[in-house]
Amino acid sequence: MDFLVNWLANVPSFAVPFALAALGLIICEKSGVLNLGAEGYMLVGAMAGAGAMLSLGQHPLLALAIAALAAGVLSLLFALLVIALRVNQVISGLVIVFFAHGLTALIATMRGWTNRAFAGLGDVDLGPLSSLPAVGRILFQQDLIVYLTIVIFALAMHVLYATHTGIRLRAVGENPEAADAAGISVGWYRFGAVVVGSMLIGLAGGYLTVAVSKIWVDGMSGGRGWIAIALVIFARWQPWPALAGAVLFGCIEALIPRMAAIGLQLPQYFVLMLPYIVTLGVMVWTSLSAGRRSGQPGALGQPFVREERR
Amino acid sequence: MADTTVSPTPSRRSFFGRFNLEVRGHMPVGRQVLVVGAGILVGLAISALLLIASGVKPSGLLNEFVIAIFKSQRNIAAVLSYAAPLTIVGLSAALAFKARFWNIGIEGQVIFGAIGATLVANHDIGPPALRLATMALAAILAGMLWIAFPLFLKLRLQVNEIISTLLMNYIAFNFLLHLLYGPWKDPQSAFPNSKIFEDFERLMPIGWQNLNLSVPIAILLVLLVAWLLGMSRYGFLLNFVYANVRAARALGVRIVALTLLFALASGALSGFGGFIISTGIESRLTQSFFIGYGFSGILIAFLARNNPFAVAFFALLIALLMVAGQSLQVFYQIPFAMVQLIQAIIVICVAASEFFIHYRLRLVG
Repeated sequence: MDFLVNWLANVPSFAVPFALAALGLIICEKSGVLNLGAEGYMLVGAMAGAGAMLSLGQHPLLALAIAALAAGVLSLLFALLVIALRVNQVISGLVIVFFAHGLTALIATMRGWTNRAFAGLGDVDLGPLSSLPAVGRILFQQDLIVYLTIVIFALAMHVLYATHTGIRLRAVGENPEAADAAGISVGWYRFGAVVVGSMLIGLAGGYLTVAVSKIWVDGMSGGRGWIAIALVIFARWQPWPALAGAVLFGCIEALIPRMAAIGLQLPQYFVLMLPYIVTLGVMVWTSLSAGRRSGQPGALGQPFVREERR
Repeated sequence: MADTTVSPTPSRRSFFGRFNLEVRGHMPVGRQVLVVGAGILVGLAISALLLIASGVKPSGLLNEFVIAIFKSQRNIAAVLSYAAPLTIVGLSAALAFKARFWNIGIEGQVIFGAIGATLVANHDIGPPALRLATMALAAILAGMLWIAFPLFLKLRLQVNEIISTLLMNYIAFNFLLHLLYGPWKDPQSAFPNSKIFEDFERLMPIGWQNLNLSVPIAILLVLLVAWLLGMSRYGFLLNFVYANVRAARALGVRIVALTLLFALASGALSGFGGFIISTGIESRLTQSFFIGYGFSGILIAFLARNNPFAVAFFALLIALLMVAGQSLQVFYQIPFAMVQLIQAIIVICVAASEFFIHYRLRLVG
């Protein structure tokens, strides 16, 4: 019982980075832009969040805002490449990851932010609710971002599916020629989606350092950005299934330290492979069950040039 | 096609404001090379500014990157010995990309290649005279093994190979750590390293500086890949397939078999790269021997546009950058991550420059 409560109570904070990153990717990819740079935005967000905590003092929410902003700035470069210059989106996404790996390691080392612990984001005090047995630990002893994530998802659902902006955004991703003919600016919608989506991914990265690890180590996002990309395919580009997938990965990641805590003797490095192996499994499962309805936006990955026939 | 007589209505204004984007026809190869060269120069200029901003004196820049390297034979040898494995992983990436298989798992295949080689060395498999060849074979097989699973997923289940090959990197890395902290740890070393290789398990020196066989092997591989892509029937078929997939299919070209061949060759080359790094540079398995090779291999193939001779050229350039980066680390305390950042900047500039090959901006009205 104790094991179960300890485990489940840790799930939300492990699920949030996956959830926010997957949502950011969905927003971006709904507009037709394939964003393989997720790992890079997470790294930049994580490093910026840690740096803000270490140099500006104990202001976790400010640090998270800076994390999102930093990823947003990096996404301007990506947007320049894929939207304005029509560079291959696979290459652009990969090079953003490489760029971010180098940039974050460089800045953190030069500033001396590497391996320095800080206090980080604390839990919200919900009074009597928090002291409920079991349920209190699991649901009401979490930090602000955990609750905010649900709000962000609801908001994204509303914007994507119930506003004109959302409909236009999806039209741009499904059929840019038709959207263009209807007078929608394909370029600017994609630009907005890339920046907003990347900021969410940056927030996910910032959450990793500011709320979870409370320390920066080079390359610390550890493939979570790539797992988030797989999650989006698994969720068929729909926000709520992506959230469910994020919770699944949160469960797995939260299980790893728990197994060690109860003294289970498992080969450590095989346990650490678990998230990646599960991701491969999820991808196989998605492909076996997808059929023709993969949900992938029609123009995903294709640059839009008005005068070019596809 | 473009209907240039109708002026665009305000709502249809292009992303570039008063400019209209036009698709170019074919640009002569000479001009393409000029455009890409300009992109590289811009990347180098930005990198130079970055280095100056982080404390390198402009005169020091010339010294570290040009004079210090070409003045000493030892530094030239260092550049060449880094360039050899970089060329091999670059060729690996080029083969996979040619077959439209995004092999982002080069790092994992390099790790597994080195693991395969070390397995042979640890268990003293085969007679000492054939030991190196056995190690190379094991490395090649291990590299192919590590690409086989994502390849199977791609060909049978259409699972995206970018993500699957990448995930395989993390799995390979954790497996390496398992070996180095567990069964393969050298009890005589304070670090998580495997036992150091015997003399006959290392690449033979070729008698100039500390260079070993890795350099002639890399040159041979460049020629081999050039033959495969440019002169063999497989390379011809591959070019044909991607010139017109439907025609190729109608004529009965076995596209799946071609992809299989080139992707497995890519895995084999990466595994072999792991063999070269472990037997030619490190002489043992360490927890960081592979760092940067996967990343650089992909970038080299992109810069070289999958041309094997250009791969060798860009591998030399990146190797020079790595050697200069090491001395910048020593003399200016600039972290080695700078080398990775500079590579990314150069690639971004080259990628951006390709815009001018494919499109032309024209002032509207």
